[in-house]
Amino acid sequence: MNSVNFFEVLKRSLSGPLVSEKEFNLMVSKKLKEVVKEYDIKFDGENLVPSDDSLADDVYKAALDFYSEVGTYCMDTERVIKFSEEEIKEGLKNAPHKAFFGEGKEAKTFIPRKPESKEPPWCHVGAGIAVSNEEIHSKLVEGYASIPEADSISVPALAFIESVPIRESPIEFYGALKMLASAKEALKRAGKPGMPILNLVSTAASQIAGIAVSAAQFGLKPSNGWLVPTYPELKIGNNELCKAAYLLSWGANIGAEYSPLIGGYSGGPEGTAVVFVANCIQGILVLKSTYQLAWITNVIDRCSSTKDAIWALAVSGQAISRNISFPLIQLHYQAAGPTTKMLFYEVAAGMIEIVASGQAIETAHPDRAVEIDYVTPLEMKFSVEVAYAATGMKRATANEIVKELLKKYENNIKNAPKGKKYQECFDLKTGKPNEEYLKIYSEVKKELKDIGVPIE
Amino acid sequence: MVENSLLDKIRLDLFNYDEKAIKADVEKALEEGSSPLEVIDVLSGCMREIGDKFARLELFLTDLMMAGDVMKVALEILLPKIPKEKISTKGKIVIGTIKGDIHDIGKNIVSAMLTASGFEVYDIGKDVSASKFLEEAEKVKADIIGASALMTTTMPALKDLIDYIKAKNLRNKYKIIIGGGPVTKEYAEEIGADAYAENAVEAIKVIENLIKK
Repeated sequence: MNSVNFFEVLKRSLSGPLVSEKEFNLMVSKKLKEVVKEYDIKFDGENLVPSDDSLADDVYKAALDFYSEVGTYCMDTERVIKFSEEEIKEGLKNAPHKAFFGEGKEAKTFIPRKPESKEPPWCHVGAGIAVSNEEIHSKLVEGYASIPEADSISVPALAFIESVPIRESPIEFYGALKMLASAKEALKRAGKPGMPILNLVSTAASQIAGIAVSAAQFGLKPSNGWLVPTYPELKIGNNELCKAAYLLSWGANIGAEYSPLIGGYSGGPEGTAVVFVANCIQGILVLKSTYQLAWITNVIDRCSSTKDAIWALAVSGQAISRNISFPLIQLHYQAAGPTTKMLFYEVAAGMIEIVASGQAIETAHPDRAVEIDYVTPLEMKFSVEVAYAATGMKRATANEIVKELLKKYENNIKNAPKGKKYQECFDLKTGKPNEEYLKIYSEVKKELKDIGVPIE
Repeated sequence: MVENSLLDKIRLDLFNYDEKAIKADVEKALEEGSSPLEVIDVLSGCMREIGDKFARLELFLTDLMMAGDVMKVALEILLPKIPKEKISTKGKIVIGTIKGDIHDIGKNIVSAMLTASGFEVYDIGKDVSASKFLEEAEKVKADIIGASALMTTTMPALKDLIDYIKAKNLRNKYKIIIGGGPVTKEYAEEIGADAYAENAVEAIKVIENLIKK
């Protein structure tokens, strides 16, 4: 049996069952409650990085049951794109189980890992956080690409062009062109011109601007990665489907992007873990993605450093690793910002959880990824160092370390320190961190060693 | 005076999100002599409890939505039985996600929590233009306009909204609150919003204070 192809997906988006968005949201919630109950999936605050393989497998089975019943909602046509269980299984079997990125000496193959694997994770370095000008943008990209273990990068978004805020408008097109020129120059300076950028097209938030700057004359190669967003939970629009159509016709890498929310339509951490796996299935079946980039946040605290979000990411990551084996990059949003110890504690907890659970990492996202300029290469370097230190770590060990780290920051999540901007803790000329930030970095690394993280 | 057990049953109907049962039980309570205000008081208490549970993530967005729907069913029976001058809501609010932005979960949470808190909420959805916000506010005679943006690229449309209302010389008629991922207190001040809230729980407190001003 052949997998359902993309054209068939589009046909279903025009012919599937008609329901209102509210009805779909309620259906997601109701069905999730049912499968969570049926499979007896329970959040355990003492086991944030669970070692129980059967829990991971049950979350996968629940997601399969759930997605085959619920499907994906097309917000523009108000129709549900549905797949039978057989089509889903066939689609997952035929999915690409590795992804190819980059050019020249930076060309690499992204191979999925298993929980506790001794293979280092794919390190996707950077964050798509907005910065105020090209100078900072360029320094950040150079800094990210210069991290030796970086396999791919996320480039920052530019917030302004000629002092005009870049916003949802044709201005985005010019902003994205400028951003790309800055990124390419920086990659050359880092000596890694072929390094893949996997968050295309940052700065162009609208799909139309993203497609426009990806045209051949602007020089992007399909060996990079383009993010196609879907919306919580399991919703997509015609613009996103159109972007996917464009990229598929070109043979470019599509990265399905999703961010389930604890407290939203998926309910608590259990339902959110299940819906995360369903999103992964959706990304394969609907978008024909070759990789995925995803995270979970808690709607009240708006970050991934809470116990429930760590657990949900760990369980869903293990479920996907063990049962689908697909190139998935997980990331965490941290509550604190650069130059704070809390940011490093949160980053360490997140990286250890992801690596022990068998997934690839994207590095730090300080200040909930929303503050302009509050991002530096030092927390990215630290993320990679922790990820390598956690390689091969048993989940039980990871769990104990994550709990120790939580003791250091959990009470401060609601009032997390904002920290400092890039230009306040890095030298703009040299692109190096100042003494204050380096001191904090060294002190936290020592603390990590003291609690059993074998960091260099 | 209605037996407490019937009011308890109505309370339970709301917690079970049971529209059919609450309709029957509210009608029965009225038949048995309960005052509509007394029943509303019980229901309002339940909605506050549900809102508090959401703040602790013991309940979730769908619970807020379903409780809101059940509350509406009950109010449709109760409100016509109360003299107009005795009907009091905390205020009317028009709420939506700004033009260009289709991320609406945060807005939906605030909307559901406002309903639970006793506000009269007019949720106009996502990707909403400034003119549509104002048109709706004028139509329903709103006290407050609430707008959200999740992306830095859509945030400037919040300023457009305020500029538009100013241009129509109606700025003083409405209190405007903004929120969403990249929105900050500083940005709210910069563009001339009346208030900002970091999350849904805070939004309710801020709006309650705003309406008193």
